[in-house]
Formats: sequence, structure tokens, C-alpha cells
Amino acid sequence: MSTVTKPLGSRGSMARPQLAKNRSGRIGANDKTSYTSTIILLLGALYCLLPLAWVLMASTKSGGDLFTSNTFVPSRHLFDNIVELTQYRGGLYWRWMLNTALYAGVGAFLSAAVSAFAGFALAKYSFKGKQATFMVLLAGVLVPGVILAIPQYFLLAQVGLTNTYWAVLLPQIISPYGIYLARIYAGASVPNEIIEAGRTDGASDLRIFLRLAVPMMAPGLVTVFLFQFVGIWNNFMLPYIMLGDDRLYPITVGLNGLLNQGSTVPALYSLVITGALLSIIPLVVLFLVLQRFWKVDLGAGAVKS
Amino acid sequence: MRRTIRAAVGAGVLAAALVMTGCSSSGSSNSNDGSLGTADKPVKLTFWGWAPNMDKVVDTWNSTHKNIQVTYVKTDAGDPAVTKLLTAIKAGSGAPDLMQAEYQKIPTLVSADAIIDIKKDVSAETTSKFSDGVLSSVTLGSDALYGIPQDSGPMMFYYRADVFKKLGLSVPTTWAEYADVAKKVHEADPKNYLGTFSSADAGEFAGLTQQAGASWWGSDGDSWSVDIDSASTKKVASFWGGLVEDGVIDNQPQYTPEWNKGLAAGTQVGWVSAVWAPGVLAGNAPKTAGKWKMAPLPQWTAGEQATGNWGGSAVAVTSQSKNVKAAVQFNTWLNTSKTAVSQMVTDGGLYPADTVDSKAALATGNGFFKNQPDFYTQAAKIAETVKPFTYGPNVNVAYSAFNDQFGKAAQAKSQQAFLDAAAQMQKITVADLKNSGFTVK
Amino acid sequence: MTTTVDVDQTAPGRDPAAKPSAPAPRAARRHRLNFTPYAMLAPATILFLIFMAAPIVYTLILSLQKTEVQGLGLGSGARKTVFAGFSNYAAAFSDSDFLASAGRVGLYGLILVPAMLVLALVFALLLDSKRTRLAGFSRVVIFLPYAVPAVISSLLWGFLYLPSVSPFVDLTTALNLPSPDVLSQGSVIFAIANIALWGGVGFNMVVMYTALKAIPTDLYEAARLDGASEIRVALAIKIPIILPSLIMTAIFSLIATLQVFAEPTTLKPLTNSISSTYTPLMKVYRDAFIRNDVNSASATSIIIAVTIFALSFAFLRVVQRRAFQEENS
Repeated sequence: MSTVTKPLGSRGSMARPQLAKNRSGRIGANDKTSYTSTIILLLGALYCLLPLAWVLMASTKSGGDLFTSNTFVPSRHLFDNIVELTQYRGGLYWRWMLNTALYAGVGAFLSAAVSAFAGFALAKYSFKGKQATFMVLLAGVLVPGVILAIPQYFLLAQVGLTNTYWAVLLPQIISPYGIYLARIYAGASVPNEIIEAGRTDGASDLRIFLRLAVPMMAPGLVTVFLFQFVGIWNNFMLPYIMLGDDRLYPITVGLNGLLNQGSTVPALYSLVITGALLSIIPLVVLFLVLQRFWKVDLGAGAVKS
Repeated sequence: MRRTIRAAVGAGVLAAALVMTGCSSSGSSNSNDGSLGTADKPVKLTFWGWAPNMDKVVDTWNSTHKNIQVTYVKTDAGDPAVTKLLTAIKAGSGAPDLMQAEYQKIPTLVSADAIIDIKKDVSAETTSKFSDGVLSSVTLGSDALYGIPQDSGPMMFYYRADVFKKLGLSVPTTWAEYADVAKKVHEADPKNYLGTFSSADAGEFAGLTQQAGASWWGSDGDSWSVDIDSASTKKVASFWGGLVEDGVIDNQPQYTPEWNKGLAAGTQVGWVSAVWAPGVLAGNAPKTAGKWKMAPLPQWTAGEQATGNWGGSAVAVTSQSKNVKAAVQFNTWLNTSKTAVSQMVTDGGLYPADTVDSKAALATGNGFFKNQPDFYTQAAKIAETVKPFTYGPNVNVAYSAFNDQFGKAAQAKSQQAFLDAAAQMQKITVADLKNSGFTVK
Repeated sequence: MTTTVDVDQTAPGRDPAAKPSAPAPRAARRHRLNFTPYAMLAPATILFLIFMAAPIVYTLILSLQKTEVQGLGLGSGARKTVFAGFSNYAAAFSDSDFLASAGRVGLYGLILVPAMLVLALVFALLLDSKRTRLAGFSRVVIFLPYAVPAVISSLLWGFLYLPSVSPFVDLTTALNLPSPDVLSQGSVIFAIANIALWGGVGFNMVVMYTALKAIPTDLYEAARLDGASEIRVALAIKIPIILPSLIMTAIFSLIATLQVFAEPTTLKPLTNSISSTYTPLMKVYRDAFIRNDVNSASATSIIIAVTIFALSFAFLRVVQRRAFQEENS
């Protein structure tokens, strides 16, 4: 480990300033293309694309051709499959998509809001029970969702909320991980001087939080939002247990149902595959548009507290 | 099954004995069970099921019965639906009024207090429409009636008539012939199989042992008996184990993409299935229409006529229903009226348990089996030969043990492993019953 | 989970998350009795109590109970719940299926976590290297699978695994090569790990890449100019600096690994090799939903949660002592 500090001590950048470029700068003498590393990375990309390419090809095939034609040769039935999927039980698929967007969108927004409040309080205030609260909240990260889902069902059944949108929405607002990240972001991006200045001007703490802190934390909160969005989008167990009515299903549970129809009904593979493809698209778009917010520095959370 | 099983009276819901799940819903429910509603103030019922196009049948009811309006909720098939119902029962609320229940799940549901005896509200005329075998699955051999049968699944043998013709094979009438044909099919083309032993389908295996004379559970007085590891089961297990060991039939599970491909591509030349098979074949291998034929299951003894049952459901009234009378009225219409039963055949592709009212609808035959216009006439004859079989209160445990144990055996490809698997199933099922506090003989 | 790791990650104006954390505001401490932080924490605390704490307590209670049956167990009132002490726990620990599943998940973790971290680190370092071309494209593509729900990714890989529908098998047959059955008993664990790897490597890569980008360039630019190779720069400078991030990714990967459920459950119907108790959480699911034995499921759940807790802490303790004593001293 001693090597860590060595370059720090012997920095030679001053000697050759013309080469000490900004990271985003032009290619220097040392920066000639490395084919090995480029190829390794592209192989990684290929590995990640392969199943997606497969689902794209498979979704262009009709039910009858799906298994009997060459896998990576596309056919022309994509549109037919989308039409068939749309017709399935009166457009149920699109309702699943909307449900998923609702669960993930609203749930992630509320989660980011709750996390922002909690993270800001934990980062910027000193109060009794702070450390204990943080530890307890964080311990929630360790509890498997599968384990929580069953007792959560019993609790919601007590107030008659099972088999409703609330059953899927409410339990997913609390995100220990989101609070953990929000605390990091609040600690790192909101300077104490700003809070002080706000207080001197006589602003209330809530106003300081909403007007000053939230805009500064915004990029981080977008990350929390994305995190929870993907988390809810991917969650299978909770809606699977909570919901009985297939009109309330999110996409994961819906597609799973299409696949496991019981022995007396054929599995609707071409619908499932087309549905899987279409369900990935919104998330891919979301990723591409918001990719600059995917900066998750877990290490920064390991700050002294 | 001589003993009269204590009928489920009322709906004293077993609250999960906790403060949070406490009281509220239990006790004096069913307060409204006499009401049948009016057009202005209709009784509202919820019905969970998953049979194809059942929503259309329910729509028919709603448009003609303004006093009782039914909301149909399509749930996931089989286990998940039961799980949800049982969880709702434990939680004390959230269950529907009516529930589609596979026959093998009925003892489990009764034992969990999830469904109730509706005998007093069902007429003898209604029950007379069902065969004794089907009826026994909803009475559990007692005086009670835990549901009205909807569809049934008498088992049959399906084969590719074109391939059989090409290879000069005749349809096997005994299991020995089946083994012989399986060998020939596989020898003619190593890619082809007459069938597969599927560790994913406990219901199919149970049906095959049923044909051989097995009945996996029984009750005597206050105690249950488990007879999975009987001579009949062993006979069936060792037969399929032998075929798998010899490699003449496949050992991969059914209902996988691979199996679907086999049906579509013609490498699965036969299928031991049930009366609902045309729907599955049409969905998975539409291009093979007209190439399949159906015959009775091969027999253990030449000249015998016996079969088992695979699949099929009844519709039961749950213990949380507050409108039992209305629920039974709808249930009776759904499963024993000509309108509903015919619609079930045409829209849902079901084979109704009510063989009286479905005759006309079935007379047109099956579109996928145009080469066999008397498909349903033959099916009706076969349906009469279903042997009796008793399910117990932990069918789910036995079935999941089947998946695990026979999965291992199929992987091992050894006849002995199949016999061991049956023994393990017996052990696990008995242990679970004892562990739950049942008396087991 | 707060460690006392303190690594200088000064990256001026680059990433808000990476900025050094300022000391807590003194002014806030001067407030005599301030309800504001409590109010701000209230929504999170209330939701936590309702949807996490209460369910956990409930699970604990359930795990100490069992259902007893009278007679044939048919009809109402034939079942009642009684206190069972630790018998459900004892049963879990003496259940060979459960122990086997625990061992299996241990093996699975040994396969997956190192593979995931090493691959993610290699990708992150390559992305960070100025000599890699098309890095932006690769970064997005490798991250993409994170957007695919495990249920769907398992379904896709399932198709690619099944010999008769797999394009790989088509390929190997065309080339006259032996085509291994990846879903067979011996290799199915790798097949499952591959799905998790596919879904998770991009996320971990992004975490590490974020940390790498936060390193001030001049820290290693100098070393490079002194003639150090990229690999040496990575090993000697970059990796030690992002070590806290690596440790956190390791812990989160470990937690996710021990909870493996969706992948084997989705693959299960496709093969004879995955039993209903293949992983501990599958056993929980089976007990709760197939066997309708919530009490056993609860006991197993508690055992799993405690194990995850203990392992995470133990891991953190060990790496903390090993890795940071020098720096902290």
C-alpha cells in the first residue's frame, strides 16, 4: 500500500506541463489506441448485447416459426406480433406497461423525496439518536425482499389494501439504499456555509432545504430516483404476492403469467418474447437519456461520521 | 373414505392468531347469505379464475342477471391462485366469493378452511349431471359438496398419425406395445421420441398411476393414509424409468421452449395427455393441424379400459363470501346451464364436466382434429373409464416432492432411481402430514 | 455500515458525490432543541416502521409458532396456531435440503462475486484508460442489462441455454463440436451465475468507473510520464484509491448473491437440475407458498437475514483491518 503515496510525493507534472492535460483533453503521446483494451471491452459489450439481439430477432417471428427457423435470421412478423400482443385480452399488455410506469415512476419519485428529507437530516443536522437511526435504516438494505413480502401482505390485508395499486406502491417508497445515497449527496454537495447564510437571512429550515439544498442535491436525487425506478421495475415478488387481479399487474408479473398458463393452456411464447422486447425499450431510453446521472460513488459513503 | 367428514359450517376464519391479524372479519359472517339482490341493488360477487375466455361467459351472466353482478378476476393459473387465496384467508380479508380450484387442490383448500360446503344450496338435479368420479373429487367422499365441477381431464394418448403411417406403426393399446413403438420411433430417427418423462408434471404422473389403480391418499376415521409408494405407482415408475434408462423416450420436462419446438418440428411424435390437449397443440404447433390423432391410453392389461385424470377444475365458494346463496346460484348456472357450458366449449376450449349440457356444443368436433370428427364422442367414452383416486390435504407437498425427486431420477436416467424417487415422495409426504399434526396411518 | 475509511477523493467540480464532505455545520448543533431533523426523518421512519420493522417483528413471531391440526384437518376450526419455541429453527438446521441449498449458495457466491468484481473492475479500468476506443458505446451497452428485470433476463438466457432452441448449439453442431448441456446437474450453477453476472456487471462497472473518474488526473499522470505501464498505474494507484468503492460493491454483491431467487426460479421449469429448494430463498418460497407453512418459511427467513447480516459485518471488519490499518496509522 505504500506505493499509493509515492506518486503523490513525486509528482512530475510540473516538469512537463505540456503533457499534463485535462482528462477530457486530446490524445497525448501516451494515449495511442490500445487494440487489446478496446477489443476486450467490445467483447464485453458483445456478451451483453447477445441476449438482447436474440430477443430482437425472436420477436420478429411468428408463433409457428419461433422454434423452427434459424435463430439469428430475422423474419417479418414483428408488427403482427405487436398487434397480437395489443389484442391480447383487450390491450392488457399496455395496461401492464402503464401500471409499471405508475409503480416505478410515482414510487421512485416519492422514494427520492423521502430519501432526500432523511438524507439531508442525517447529513446536516446533529441530533440525538442520529447514528442509531442511520444504522437501523441502513440495516434494512440487508433484509431480502422475499422475506418482507409475506408479512407485508398480512399487514396490508388488515387494512384491505391488498390487490390494489397501494399494495405495490407503498412498501417500495422506503429505500434504505436511497437514504444512504441521499445522505452522501447531501453531505457532499450542500456546503454548510449556504445553510448558514440561509439561516442568517431568516429562512426556515424547510425553505432552506427546498430552495437551496434540493437544487444542489438534484443530480444525486436523480440517481436515487433512477435506482429506485429500476428497483421497482425489476421487482417481481412484491406485486406477485400482493396482486390477484391481472389488470393491476406490472409487466414482470404479467409476462410471467403469460408464460405459466398451467398445463391445459399453451404458453404464449411469441407474445412473451415480443412483450419482453417492448418492455425493455422504455428503460433503455431512460438509461440513454439520463446516463450522466448514473454516478454511483459507493466509496464516498464510507466517510468519517 | 367411508367416514363423514365434518362439514364446514359458517366461516369461522382461522385468524392467524396474532394481534395484527386479529378478529374483525371472522365470527358472524355470511350474514347476508340469503339475499339474491335486485336489479336496483344487485349483489356483487367476485370470481377468481384463469380458464381461457371465462370473462366472456361471465359477461353473458351479467347481461342476463341484473340482480347478481359478477366481477371476474383473471389470476395466474394453478398454484399462485391457491397461494393467494390461502394468504387472503389467513389475513382474514381479500378473498373472492368464488374461486376456480383444481380438483387436487380441493382437500388443501377445505383443510385450510378456505372453501365451504354448499351442499344445502345445490339441487340433486345439478349434481346428477356429473359422473361419479368427477363428483367424488368435490365431495371428498363425504356428505359435503365443496364445489361444482367445471371441466375435467380424462387422459388420452395423442400421436402423429402421419409419422406412424410412414413408419408402419400401429397405435399401441398396451404399455408394452407403447414401449415397443417408442423404441422403433427413436431407432428410425434418433432425434425423434414418442414421448418424454416430465418431472415438471406431477399431475400427469398421478393420472398415470390412477390408471394403474393407485390412489395416493385415503382417510379412515380420524387419520389419513398415504399410499404413494404402492405397487401400482411402482409399476408406473419402473416402466417410465426403464424407458428413460434405455433412452427410447426423452427425459426433459414438458412445457419448455424445447418441448414446444419438439411438437412444432415433429420430433415429439406422441404425447400422453388429456382431453384438453388440442388447445395446447394448436397453440404450440399450429402447423401440425390435422396430423395428430387421439386414442385411448395404452392399458396395463390387454382389453382393459381404464384411464386417469390430468387437470380440470371445480368452482368453489370461499369462506369469506358474504353472499353464499347468490354465489351458488351463479356457480350452478356457470357450470350446469346449456348457455354457459356451450360458451365454455366454443370460447374457452374446455371439456366441461357437465356432459349432459355440453353434448350439443361438442358434437361439432375439434377444429384441430378435423381428421377425427368423432373426437368428442370418443373422448366421452374414455371419460367414463376414469378410475377413482383420492387426493389428500398436502397434494402440494407431494407434487413438489415429485418435481424434486423425479427430476433427480430423470437426470440420473436409471430405473432404480425412479423407484427410489417414488419411495422418497412417500416419505416426504408422510413426514409433512405428521409434522402438521395430522394422524397418519 | 459506516466505516472509518478516509480516502482523499478530491475531484474539483467534477462529481458532487465525490466532493469531500465538509464537517457538520456547527450552527446546526447550536440549535437548542430542534425538531426539524426529526420532522424530516419522520416519513422515512414511519414507512420504515410499517413496511420493514413491523414485518420483521411479525416474521419473528411467526417463526416461533406452528399450526396444529385436529383429526382429518377438514372443516373450520380444525387448525390452530400454537407456540412452537425454536422447533422451526431446529427443523431448518436439521433439514438436509436446506443445508445443501446453503452450501450451494456459498459455492455460487464464490463463483459469482469474484467473477463479477474482477470483470467489472477490468471493464472500469479499460473505460478509464485513455487508450481505449469506443469506450462510450461499450459503457452504455455493458450497463444495459441492468435495465432488464431478472425474470426477463432469465427467460432470455433460458432460451439460449436449451440445446434444441439455442443458437450456440446450432453453431457448435454446424462446426461439429460437442455441445455441452449447460443446464445439466454439474453446470447449471454456472448457468445461473452467468445470468446474474450479465445483469450485474455493468452496474458494478459504473460504480467503479465513477470512483475512478473522481481520482485527480495528476495523481497518476505523473507516474505514466515516468514510464509506468497502464497496468502498473492501475494496480499501484487507481485500485488502492477506489478500494472503498470496491469493498462496498463487494458487500452489495454478496448480499444480492445470498438472496439469489429469481434466476433459478425462472429456469426451474426448464430443467431437471433445479430442485424446489435449490437456494435458501427458494426453500422459503416453497415452504410459504407451496407447502403453505408460513412458520417454517419465517424461521428460514430469519436465519438467512441473520447470516447476511453477520457475513456483511464480518467481511467489512476483515477488509477494514487488513486494508486500512496502514493508511489510518
